[in-house]
Amino acid sequence: MGAIVDLVLGVVTSIGGFVEVGSISTAAQAGSEFGYQLIWAIAIATAMLALLTEMSGRLAAVSRRTVAAAVRERFGIHFQLVPLTAELVIDTLLITAEIGGAAIAIKLLTNVGFEWWLAPLALLTWLLLWLSGFAVIEYGLGLLGLVTLAFVISAWQLHPDVSDIGRSFLPTTPHHHYTRYAFLAVSIVGATISPYLLNFFSSGAIEEKLTESELWVNTTTAYMGMCFGGVVSMGVLVTSAMVLQPRHILVDSYEQAALMFVPVFGHYAIPLFAAALGIGCFGAAVELTVNIGYTFSQVFNWTWGANKPRRDCARFVTAFTFVLLMALGVALMGFDPLRLTMLSVALTVVIMPIVVLPFLVLMNDKKYVKDHTSGVIANGVLAALTIVGGILAVVVVPLEMFGG
Amino acid sequence: MDLVRDLLDKKVVDRHGRDMGRVDRLILESGEHSAPRVVAFQIGPDALAARVAPWCGRLASGLQRLFKVDEGRPVRIELADVLSIDADVKVDVAFGETATATIERALRRWVGSLPFSS
Repeated sequence: MGAIVDLVLGVVTSIGGFVEVGSISTAAQAGSEFGYQLIWAIAIATAMLALLTEMSGRLAAVSRRTVAAAVRERFGIHFQLVPLTAELVIDTLLITAEIGGAAIAIKLLTNVGFEWWLAPLALLTWLLLWLSGFAVIEYGLGLLGLVTLAFVISAWQLHPDVSDIGRSFLPTTPHHHYTRYAFLAVSIVGATISPYLLNFFSSGAIEEKLTESELWVNTTTAYMGMCFGGVVSMGVLVTSAMVLQPRHILVDSYEQAALMFVPVFGHYAIPLFAAALGIGCFGAAVELTVNIGYTFSQVFNWTWGANKPRRDCARFVTAFTFVLLMALGVALMGFDPLRLTMLSVALTVVIMPIVVLPFLVLMNDKKYVKDHTSGVIANGVLAALTIVGGILAVVVVPLEMFGG
Repeated sequence: MDLVRDLLDKKVVDRHGRDMGRVDRLILESGEHSAPRVVAFQIGPDALAARVAPWCGRLASGLQRLFKVDEGRPVRIELADVLSIDADVKVDVAFGETATATIERALRRWVGSLPFSS
């Protein structure tokens, strides 16, 4: 019974926690500029994310090691310095972008400049992490995040042509702006496969004491949760394609993205968009912040855990507090949240091969996963992802310059 | 035993199962006519940083001195004190009795002074 409850909670909160600043902005821009044409990018990225999160959970359940800990042990500090440094930089920028997204959501509701909400939101993030256990962080915010289903309801109510959407699951070349199209496709992949999610998922498996006998819960949660989450992202894209594209509205700010709800939700459009954006971004900011604490604690083997009294894991608390303060510092220097999001997403793509490659080794090492090694198909997909990730890492910077 | 695979970077836990850090650097000794052998390992950011590059080690040591948490660090654990080497390296010392706890203890004074920390 407990496993069933965990499964349902896991799937539901994965849906609620899927959409955040990166996925909303990339999907909204893709829809407004290319209609349904980039749905395939969301579908492929979501499938890859599901595969990687399942592996993260399996690794944690069998080896009692999170991804960060296993990479340190298996590859050593010289290798790990690269993803660790990259993750520190990207997560700091992403926390800034997520807090910025949540601040804009409040601005939409109050008309008070978003800059005024940055420090209170950072404080609220810290207070939540200080006062709550893992269940509140993961399930509480995930359940609140179900408000993002408004994107799916909106897309449904707009009665899109299902056959057009179906055809968009196969990649096609655009009729215009090839580099912009390629940039958005790569950005969708970067926004979806966030490296922090993988360590957060494996840390969650340890926090929740997931065992080898419950691997089916992990597999079902990863695939169902992520795939339904991908549907929410597609809801953003479809709504944007049906509302913003015909009116030639380009998403160059979140305020413009909010207009996509007007035809379906009328007077409630702005508050509902603000709630979806705000909760999605705030939830991601909390997860990103705690994940920094997890990652550093696991790499150096300090005591860690969102369920532990904070005084018993002082270095864990200090690590996430320090990074949150750095993110707030970046935010207070003045920034455009949408541009910062797109920059963070592009940087995520740059480090993708370094994030994916260790899975190929770890998931075939019986010292870590015993008899639960990956099969031929999973290995093939992972190898392909590593190669494609390497190519994307090379092309993303020129694409950002010419198509971003 | 493959020292890099089976010992270096492994988790170190004390006799009570408490996390102490990782095997950050191995200490080898060699006699005139004998092959080098591992006699101890070190735990600590300065030992780890020195492995990455000598200047990183000096920087880490300098920072530890600056914050007055350098006494007894890096911590040296003799191989004779190792109880087992399995998934983790279990040692016959207590976390709180070694300088591995220095930074945790220093930060706890700050963290523990805040409301609801326990």
